Amino acid sequence: MLTFYMQRMTIMPTQPCRQRRNLLLLILPLCGLWFMGQGTYIHAKATLAQVLLETAWARALDGQKAVKPWPWADTWPVSRLSVPRLDIHRIVLAGVNGSALAFGPGHLFASALPGEVGNTVIAGHRDTHFNFLKDIKPGDAIELQSDEGGIYVYEVVETHIADETDTVFMDREGGPRLTLITCYPFDAINPGGPLRYVIVAKKIKMASRHEQT
Amino acid sequence: MQTKLSINFVFLRCLARRVKASTLYTFALGAIVFLFASSAQANMPGETEASDTQAYTNPSAVKQGTLLFKSEAGFMSAPTLHTDVRFTVTGMLVRAHVKQRFQNPDGDWKEGVYVFPLPEDAAVDHMRMYIGERIIEGQIKEKQKARKEYQQAKQSGKKASLVEQERPNVFTTSVANIAPHETIVVEIEYQQVARYDAGRFNLRFPLVVAPRYIPGNSNIRVEGFAGTGWATNTDQVPDATRISPPVRKPEQGSINPVNIEIDLNAGFKLDHIDSPYHDIAISNQENNYRIHLKEGDVPADRDFVLSWQPATGKMPQAAFFKENKNGDDYALLMVLPPQQAQSQVLNREVVFVIDTSGSMGGTSIMQAKAALELALNSLKTGDRFNIIQFDSHTSQLYPASQAVLPSTLQQARRYIGTLEAQGGTEMAPALHAALMQQNAEQGVRQVIFLTDGNVGNEDALFKIIEDNLLNSRLFTIGIGSAPNSHFMSRAAKFGRGTHTHIGNIYEVQQKMTDLFQKLENPVLRDIKISWPDRVIVESWPQRIPDLYLGEPLLVSAKAGHLAGDVKMTGRIVGQDGAGQDWQANLSLNGGKDAESISVLWARRKIAALMERSVRGNEADHIREEIIETALAHHLVSKYTSLIAVDTTPARKLAEILKRRALSTNLPAGWEYKKVFGTMPKTATPAGLYLLLGGFLLIISLFRSLFRNVYLKKCRSLFVSTCTRAGIVNRIG
Repeated sequence: MLTFYMQRMTIMPTQPCRQRRNLLLLILPLCGLWFMGQGTYIHAKATLAQVLLETAWARALDGQKAVKPWPWADTWPVSRLSVPRLDIHRIVLAGVNGSALAFGPGHLFASALPGEVGNTVIAGHRDTHFNFLKDIKPGDAIELQSDEGGIYVYEVVETHIADETDTVFMDREGGPRLTLITCYPFDAINPGGPLRYVIVAKKIKMASRHEQT
Repeated sequence: MQTKLSINFVFLRCLARRVKASTLYTFALGAIVFLFASSAQANMPGETEASDTQAYTNPSAVKQGTLLFKSEAGFMSAPTLHTDVRFTVTGMLVRAHVKQRFQNPDGDWKEGVYVFPLPEDAAVDHMRMYIGERIIEGQIKEKQKARKEYQQAKQSGKKASLVEQERPNVFTTSVANIAPHETIVVEIEYQQVARYDAGRFNLRFPLVVAPRYIPGNSNIRVEGFAGTGWATNTDQVPDATRISPPVRKPEQGSINPVNIEIDLNAGFKLDHIDSPYHDIAISNQENNYRIHLKEGDVPADRDFVLSWQPATGKMPQAAFFKENKNGDDYALLMVLPPQQAQSQVLNREVVFVIDTSGSMGGTSIMQAKAALELALNSLKTGDRFNIIQFDSHTSQLYPASQAVLPSTLQQARRYIGTLEAQGGTEMAPALHAALMQQNAEQGVRQVIFLTDGNVGNEDALFKIIEDNLLNSRLFTIGIGSAPNSHFMSRAAKFGRGTHTHIGNIYEVQQKMTDLFQKLENPVLRDIKISWPDRVIVESWPQRIPDLYLGEPLLVSAKAGHLAGDVKMTGRIVGQDGAGQDWQANLSLNGGKDAESISVLWARRKIAALMERSVRGNEADHIREEIIETALAHHLVSKYTSLIAVDTTPARKLAEILKRRALSTNLPAGWEYKKVFGTMPKTATPAGLYLLLGGFLLIISLFRSLFRNVYLKKCRSLFVSTCTRAGIVNRIG
């Protein structure tokens, strides 16, 4: 073993060693900056998109169907979610695929739309749009506005920590309710964990658009 | 000496640098691990904490599965189940006793509902309920009547059990009023014929109803009696809830242990006895074999198969069993057509259809891909082929079949390489695609269908095959540990082909070779049976299916008095259309008396009638005829059930009865997430990126600031260590 190293070292002059070290000195901070940039970009995108989505939502309320917030978007706003106690407002997008969730909470296609019979399922990223779920308590009111302007008020009844395979929460059957899903634990670093935080709220009333404003 | 020293120095310096770099990386990695661990610790303490006035538990302070708030009372455990199966095989006749032991684990009165599989041709003719020392014999009743009686017994607190057929291979046992901590045993008996194929007898006993894909829209309400499964009734599968028991997650461990014992008396000397999916122990006295599972109890998560091979030259060419019951003669005839010399093989078109739905995930898709690759190799120049894959959507390799060329085979292999199991099992469009592209003039067209058959809309699919078959022949290959054998055998029957099973990767080679032989060898067609003159015989099946190489002719008959000679004729036709006549004569005198030949006759009659109802004619008339036959022979069918009711009430009506569905295991080799899906992924890697980035920046900052100091320290440390260890001396 040692002889092997000795042979290698004699062949290898000292200069390349230093050069490689310098290169490493450059790569390390560059990588660092790149990762920092990626992380910041995710958050910036999430925040900025919501601002753009507010305008798209206004157009949807004016009667336009499936308003694309920007020309190349493959999703559109379907609802506006509000939690008055926490002063939270989120525009909910159609679909729960990764590209929709980057910009806002997503509405599960197969589930009921606000105002329809059944279970309305909305999922969002635990570290951006749905980070506030950790502050939701039973009894909190959550409001969903449909694209026709009606506002449906839900009251939080249950919160669960469930495995990702407990798809029973996404069942369409059962009473009119709202199910919010996000990843759990909220401050875990690994994004691929198996746990989900699920909030179930039951529908209590429908308030008109004017009552709200 | 000088040179040696300098070499030493260079070596040590570089080594020291390595040490430093690795130290840094270790440090970085360690820190990340530490952070992960600490965050996990912070979020998963052993106990939940209640905080302030609202008794509100902080969501970041609980373990998985903890129910924080639940509006209704918690849930209760279902009865547990242990199954004992005993087979008695005489010749090719199989009698099975299946004992289901329902045990109530806690202090509530329970009703247990268990959905379980039996072989698709099982003639279920007895059921007994054991309550302690007492035995209550089950009675055959029309299905709705039996259900009503069961409900009444259940409501009045009497113990009752009900065995219903949901599909030819899916049954439900319901047991009402199991007292706290009580055990009730339900014993089911059935009769069956062991399948003979390619020189071997096979006994297949399914142990678990695999989760089935339920196509259609779920806007039909669940009826009151059902509704314990996870599926919803749909327009295409109106009884979906009844064939979909709750499925246990693999990490919860397996349940429903099964014990199997077999008495095998084949009637001739045997060469081999194997069980490909379970370890068995065999002991024998002459030609009497006793077989049991080596491990004792096994989890109910895959089919059990026992196969036995007659010693060379010992296989009889024909068999005749008979029974006289209520003044009528019943017979079961088996004839083995002679092996034919291979005819000229014509160019053919082969369409492969492969199921890539989620239920094929795990080991099944690997078996299917291996089988498909092997099948590609069997294609010859001049043949044409295509590959169709389906899950929620159907797609195909070529718009129409292509000639076999090195380039197309290459493309096909690449295509197979990309196949992944995911999504639903929308089989109808795939069947249409496979059967649509044919013209009437072309010659041999073979559709090879690789699937686990786990769908709920079998009959609709059979109808598609029946209506669109034309010149094609459909061959099904059942893939995986728990395929839907009813689908496999019946689809092949409607498709005028044959079926085979591949249960693990090691079987692919042998099973595919057997199938290729069937595909290439002549087929025995147009089989007709002439019964003796002046004897009125009702025989089933009425139209004898085509027989492929190694398959026996099997027919059941009923007559006032069977005697004389029966003549069988047919044509052995090769792919080139050239044929030769085949004829066999059999005396109906003698034969072996056996019990339950009448039951087998009735079962085959019901199967044939059910096939007719798939074709869609005279549904009411067929239903009546099935009920009549089933009641006369004490058989469970789609329209008749076995019910046993205890006469004395056991439960006081003030006590509540809780209905619980028994869970089943996920079949071996399956992937839970592929079948049932998961909740959306809802975390971004932002945190991870920021953390990693921060780390890298800190490290590089650290390096540039303390580089020289650190390097020197490392070097001196290393040199001193080496010197102490005497390494330098040795090198020097």
